[in-house]
Amino acid sequence: MPELAISTRGLRKTYRTRLGRKVVAVQGLDLDVPVGGVHGFLGPNGSGKTTSIRMLLGLIRADAGTMTVFDRPVPAQLPEVVGRVGAIVESPKFFPAFSGRKNLELLAEAIGVPRKQVGEVLEQTSLGERGKDRYKAYSLGMKQRLAIAATLLKQPDLLIFDEPTNGLDPAGIREIRETMRGLGDQGRTVLVSSHILAEVEQVADTVSIIGHGRLLASGTVAQVIGGSTAATVKVAVDNHEAAIRILTAAGMTVRADGNYLLVDGAEHPADVTRRLAHQELYVSELAPVRADLESVFLELTAGEGLK
Amino acid sequence: MIRLTGVELRRLTARRLTVIGVLAVLGITAFLLFAIWQDARPLSADEQRVAQTQYEQVHKDWVEHGDENKQMCEADWRNMPDPKPALEEMCAFREPTIDDFGKPRTVFAEVMPELLLGSSYLLVFAAFLIGASFFGAEFSTGSIGNWLTFEPRRLRVYGSKVLAAAIGLAPVGVVVLAISLLGTYLIVDQLGDTATTTGKVWGDLTAIGGRAVLLTALGAALGSVAGSLLRHTAAAIGVVMAYLVLIEGVFASFLNKAQPWLVKTNFDAFVRHDTTYYLNQCSSSPDGGYMCNSIEKTLTFEHGAWYLGILAVVVIAIGAAVFQRRDIT
Repeated sequence: MPELAISTRGLRKTYRTRLGRKVVAVQGLDLDVPVGGVHGFLGPNGSGKTTSIRMLLGLIRADAGTMTVFDRPVPAQLPEVVGRVGAIVESPKFFPAFSGRKNLELLAEAIGVPRKQVGEVLEQTSLGERGKDRYKAYSLGMKQRLAIAATLLKQPDLLIFDEPTNGLDPAGIREIRETMRGLGDQGRTVLVSSHILAEVEQVADTVSIIGHGRLLASGTVAQVIGGSTAATVKVAVDNHEAAIRILTAAGMTVRADGNYLLVDGAEHPADVTRRLAHQELYVSELAPVRADLESVFLELTAGEGLK
Repeated sequence: MIRLTGVELRRLTARRLTVIGVLAVLGITAFLLFAIWQDARPLSADEQRVAQTQYEQVHKDWVEHGDENKQMCEADWRNMPDPKPALEEMCAFREPTIDDFGKPRTVFAEVMPELLLGSSYLLVFAAFLIGASFFGAEFSTGSIGNWLTFEPRRLRVYGSKVLAAAIGLAPVGVVVLAISLLGTYLIVDQLGDTATTTGKVWGDLTAIGGRAVLLTALGAALGSVAGSLLRHTAAAIGVVMAYLVLIEGVFASFLNKAQPWLVKTNFDAFVRHDTTYYLNQCSSSPDGGYMCNSIEKTLTFEHGAWYLGILAVVVIAIGAAVFQRRDIT
């Protein structure tokens, strides 16, 4: 049993623009996605997430580097593992004039899956009643659900969702999130790429953050957040000027935030109260500001062209 | 590969453009049969009266002035410089008959080969269009990327699509050509002449039809390759139309000697089992004049078959190489 569902080393891809200019989309990406659970693949727009996923799926050719899926080198041995991989790359793309059911039947027949399974996956994704409608008449949420249904035809061990909630309404986002979490809880591996951090933080067990096609951080959500320098304490105190002077002299960074002070660089929140109390300044309120994935992400990808 | 081809065939036959294309071809075939019927039907009473009147006028003129006209023509002939045409050819003022003013009888054995050739142009064009849309639409909708996440072996995917286009459109060719053949026979049998339709004529017509079906399948396959290479139906059709107009039309009219290497000439040679084309051979005469003669040449069936075969293999191989290496974005 492999420990990694996906592994890449030194993955590189360069494009040429219409004007002939070289654009490096992915440069030396080392990515490890453990087997089981939900793995968030984060990065600003244009950071190389989709290009990396397309390379993993054999849709575009890597210029350099190696990739494995369930320990099989891809794209060379992709046909041997593709049956275990379901993927939605960017927006779902099916034949617009065919019904949802017809689209799935064609895919099922292509991979030798019994046709009755089409009905099952349609039911699983709550599309049973709309299966006969034309795909082009589907809402964005229904299209996304149909794409998930298509991936489920294979009963995959690895699911790759690329920006799965783009364009969805809040209910649709929640539905997709629950679906991903559910799949992760079943023991499947879900790789979800996104630049919407709140959605990933709620479902991901592990994350990788990339910028300019390079890995910036990787690990469990707690590890990645814990590794951040963003340990901030929020303090309420009467005399702001005196408090700023005392804490700055102690090597901390202080900035005003309305009626509060935001203090960075304290080893422990108790250091703040002790130093202020020592100068007879008493804290009426103190709370550690919990670092979240967003702050880590912004810190790591500062200057990476986040849109 | 067989399973994939089966899936592609199901997709091909379920596509709206396939149905519309096939119905359009059947509609045009029906119109061609109507044109045959129009051509073969006898003159109406009014048309016969007009023809009779014209005949009587011309005959009267011949009776009154025939000898006089002949003598003038012979005098002109004597004054012509050499080389000159034969006197009998130039001055044959034969007596007009009523048949000269009626309608010639339609003969099945004469009209059918041309009709089959015309139908084969129509079929190959329609097959190319449907084939181009069949593969090209996958790129324009982006569904090819989704498909490849289910079957990443690209050559199999490519082969199944090209093969399905060819297999799927060949029966359309059979049906359309059978309708043309039998429909024309029934019409001409009632209104024209089928007496000369011997077993050999049927054999030749069947062979022409068979070759036209083969080219229909080839047209569909090459259409799908064009759709794959250009990633859009309209682009594929645009490129082919531009080729036909610029190369087969404009370029060929300037470069007369290129005719044996044009697609159309080879197409005709293959379908008709040999075809003829004309070369202008010009030379200066001793008296300083410049004369051009049109010389008839034959392009053989074998030349057409090799030409089309090699063209198909090269185009399909290029399509496969590009599809195998192309980034699907």
